[in-house]
Amino acid sequence: FSCSACRASSDEKPGKFQPPPKPVIIDKLKQIEERRFLSPEFIPPRGRTDPLKFFIERKDMIQRRKVFNIPEFYVGSILAVTTADLYAKDKVNRFVGICIQRGGKGLGATFVLRNVIENQGVEICYELYNPRIQAIEVLKLEKRLDDNLMYLRDALPEYSTFDVNMKPETRLDHEEIPINKLQVRMKPKPWSKRWERPKYNIKGIKFELPEKVMKEAQKWSQPWLEFDMLREYDTSKIEEKIWKEVNEGLKK
Amino acid sequence: GEMRLSVAAAISHGRVFRRLGLGPRSRLDLLRNLVTALVRHERIEAPWARADEMRGYAERLIDYAKLGDTNERAMRMADFWLTEKDLIHKLFKVLAPRFQPHPGSYTRLLQIPNRDGLDRAKMAVIELKGNP
Repeated sequence: FSCSACRASSDEKPGKFQPPPKPVIIDKLKQIEERRFLSPEFIPPRGRTDPLKFFIERKDMIQRRKVFNIPEFYVGSILAVTTADLYAKDKVNRFVGICIQRGGKGLGATFVLRNVIENQGVEICYELYNPRIQAIEVLKLEKRLDDNLMYLRDALPEYSTFDVNMKPETRLDHEEIPINKLQVRMKPKPWSKRWERPKYNIKGIKFELPEKVMKEAQKWSQPWLEFDMLREYDTSKIEEKIWKEVNEGLKK
Repeated sequence: GEMRLSVAAAISHGRVFRRLGLGPRSRLDLLRNLVTALVRHERIEAPWARADEMRGYAERLIDYAKLGDTNERAMRMADFWLTEKDLIHKLFKVLAPRFQPHPGSYTRLLQIPNRDGLDRAKMAVIELKGNP
C-alpha cells in the first residue's frame, strides 16, 4: 500500500496531501442506541408501595449484574443455565430449555425453562438473581407471538424438545430479534387451561377445533376491557428514568 | 364447640375500582353516560361515588383527546366513551385546546348536601375547569 498511488489518482500538486475521506460510522451508533432492552423485572409494578424499596432493589440488581452477566433474552428463546449443585458429580448442573414465561419483579424475578428429556416434560423455574447460578447462555435468541408459552404443556411434545448439546447460535446483526411466527399444534382436547378463550389472547396456536367451539369461546370475551382507560399502565417515562439509572450504575 | 371470636370484615385488599351497577359492563356503561353528560353540560350533579370513579376516566379521556384528532386510538376511545357523536367534535375542537396548557387535573369535585329523596345519598358536583 503506497502513497504514490493516491497522489497519482488525485491529480493535484505533488506536495499537497489530501487526507482520505472519513468513513461514515454515525449510522451504526444510532442503530445500536435505538434498540434498547430493559429487562422487564426492573419496571416496578403499579401499586402503593414506597419507591424507595424499588430503588434499593435496583441497586442490588445492578450490583449483581456487574459481577455476573445476565444476557438479554425473551420468552421463546432457548437458554442453557448452569447452577451449583452440591450432590451432582461435577458440582454443576446444566439445563437447556425454552423460556416459557418471565415472572416477578425486582430481585425475585424468575424465568421458567421447559424441555422434554427422555419423553418426560420438565419445567424448571430459575431465579435470575440467584447466587447459585454460575452461567446463563443464550443458545438461540428469538421472540414468539405470545408473552406466555404455557400452552406448550398441551402441545405436541415435538414443539418442546430441544437438543441438550445444542451449539449457541451467533447473531451477526445487532438489531431486529427475529419473531418466530410458529403456529403450534395441540394434543386432543382436555387441556390444562382453555386456551381458545379470548382471556389468554393466544396467537401462536393453530386451533383445529370446530367453528362451534370457537364461537362458544367468544362468549367469554369482554370487549369493554380494551376501553377501560384506568387499567392501562403507561411505562414509557418510568422506563426512560430506569434505563438511565441502570446504565449509569453499570458503567461505574 | 368453638366460637367465632372475631367478626368477618369485608377488606378489599387494594382493589381500586368500586362495584357499581349490575356488573363490570354495567359499571362502564353507567360511567360512560356520566362522562357524556359531563362533556355536554360541563357541570353535573351525581352520587359522590359515581362522580369519583368518573373523574379518573374523564381526565384520561381528555389526555387521549390531547393526542389529536388524527390519532386512531384516540378516535376509538372517544367513539366508545361519548355516546352522542356531536360531542366527539366538541371534545377534540374545544376541550383539548382549552386544557392544552394544563398538565394534570381538569376536573373539580365538590360535595353538596345529601339528596332530597328517601335515600339521602351523598351527592357531589363535578365540573370541568374553565367552564363558562
